Amino acid sequence: MSKPAPVIFDIGWNACINCGACVAICPQEAGFISPFDTIAVNEVCDIACLLCEKICPVDTITHETITTGPQTPTIP
Amino acid sequence: MDKHTYDLLIIGSGPAGATVGRFAAAAGLSVLLVDKKQELGAPIQCSGAVSRHALEDVGIAPDDEYVLEAIYGFAIYDQAGASTKIDYRKLKADEYGEAPGRKPLGYVVDRRRFDRYLMTQAERAGVETWLKTEGLGYKPTPDGRCDVSLRRFNQEITVSCKVLVGADGLMSQVGKWAGLQTHIKITELAGCLQFIVDNVETEGLLEIVTGHEWAPGGYAWVFPKGHGYAEIGLGVIPTLTDKPARWHLDRFIKESFFKDRFKNSRILEIQGGGVPLAAPLRTQYADNMILVGDAARHVNPVTGGGIHTALSGGKIAAQFLIAHLSGTMGKDCSAAQMKGYQDTWLEQLGDKMWKLYHTKTKVFQHADVVTRDAELYATMSDYFDPNSEYKKI
Repeated sequence: MSKPAPVIFDIGWNACINCGACVAICPQEAGFISPFDTIAVNEVCDIACLLCEKICPVDTITHETITTGPQTPTIP
Repeated sequence: MDKHTYDLLIIGSGPAGATVGRFAAAAGLSVLLVDKKQELGAPIQCSGAVSRHALEDVGIAPDDEYVLEAIYGFAIYDQAGASTKIDYRKLKADEYGEAPGRKPLGYVVDRRRFDRYLMTQAERAGVETWLKTEGLGYKPTPDGRCDVSLRRFNQEITVSCKVLVGADGLMSQVGKWAGLQTHIKITELAGCLQFIVDNVETEGLLEIVTGHEWAPGGYAWVFPKGHGYAEIGLGVIPTLTDKPARWHLDRFIKESFFKDRFKNSRILEIQGGGVPLAAPLRTQYADNMILVGDAARHVNPVTGGGIHTALSGGKIAAQFLIAHLSGTMGKDCSAAQMKGYQDTWLEQLGDKMWKLYHTKTKVFQHADVVTRDAELYATMSDYFDPNSEYKKI
């Protein structure tokens, strides 16, 4: 299976309850965290396991796939 | 730049961190306790249930400052609403009850006030406490100590200590700094949501509702929350549902056998979190570092309860550190020495938690929902039985 394309996460802050479950499940190294106790939203995630989206109790994490080159189409 | 020096630096002032600090300072160690928050315990990620003996074991008196309501037992429900009630006011009427001379079995606490109270007790025992202070990293130094980088109100500060205590919760970064295997499986982290509500009656019992129907992989709960309020919540394992906890909680309130009881409920607060229903970390130490509480995954894998285990584990950690630092090997805080903490913890508490983990794992190995539901109901009922071997966890 090919490696998933890197993503950048977006958090719907209106629904976020700052519970930290996304950080707790995140397999990234230390520091992949926002100042609001969520996963980072200003850094590319190259693991793209999306576990944070699955654990979120209020379903408020989404992502955008990052294109790695000019020829690679973006998956919406 | 200022360089501060302590015996212990504790990152995270929850029940585990504050307890380590309180015992260590009372024994004469110099302790700095830091927390990145401005208000401890907030936002609340916990239902707040703790047994009376858990508090007594670590010398904390129940106090109006943080106790929301006393509890006297449990009610365990299956998915259809049949229940096992374990009310100590009836089982041991001479010991438990509201009357003078009778005691509660436990309490539901306000984590904001509880965590502040524990920090206050630590501070009064001699701990120095810094809020709005986050940890950035640490590295052992050639003198056998370690340097910890902190940021306090935007100012970067280095603190030298003998041992760094990672008490930074489920989102722990301290364990990751040391390269420990802290990753938790998606099958073992429950996404939890709870509402504090008005207009739902309770009767001094912790009510636990099992069943895949309502909370796949976890359970739902109704706890008394003081002032006539209740707390309705649940946790779900993401691999067993394609819906978030919020969807399940709405459905539990509107469609379960409690729908009439909940029909006039009004939401006063929304809280949530991730609760590990997992094994403790296999390695909870490194050079000049130990982990306690949620950071070490000291959470009961059957109930998801973590206050008791944090308090007890905090006391065990403090006792180990006090003895080690005053002993002949006191200058050696390498991983080989810190392992002693984990060994003591396993002996006093951890081995039982591992046993609970195996019990819980067996329940969820059943692919068949009916069998799994029946076993979870039986396990929960046994767990809270007055003769349970796990009473002290």
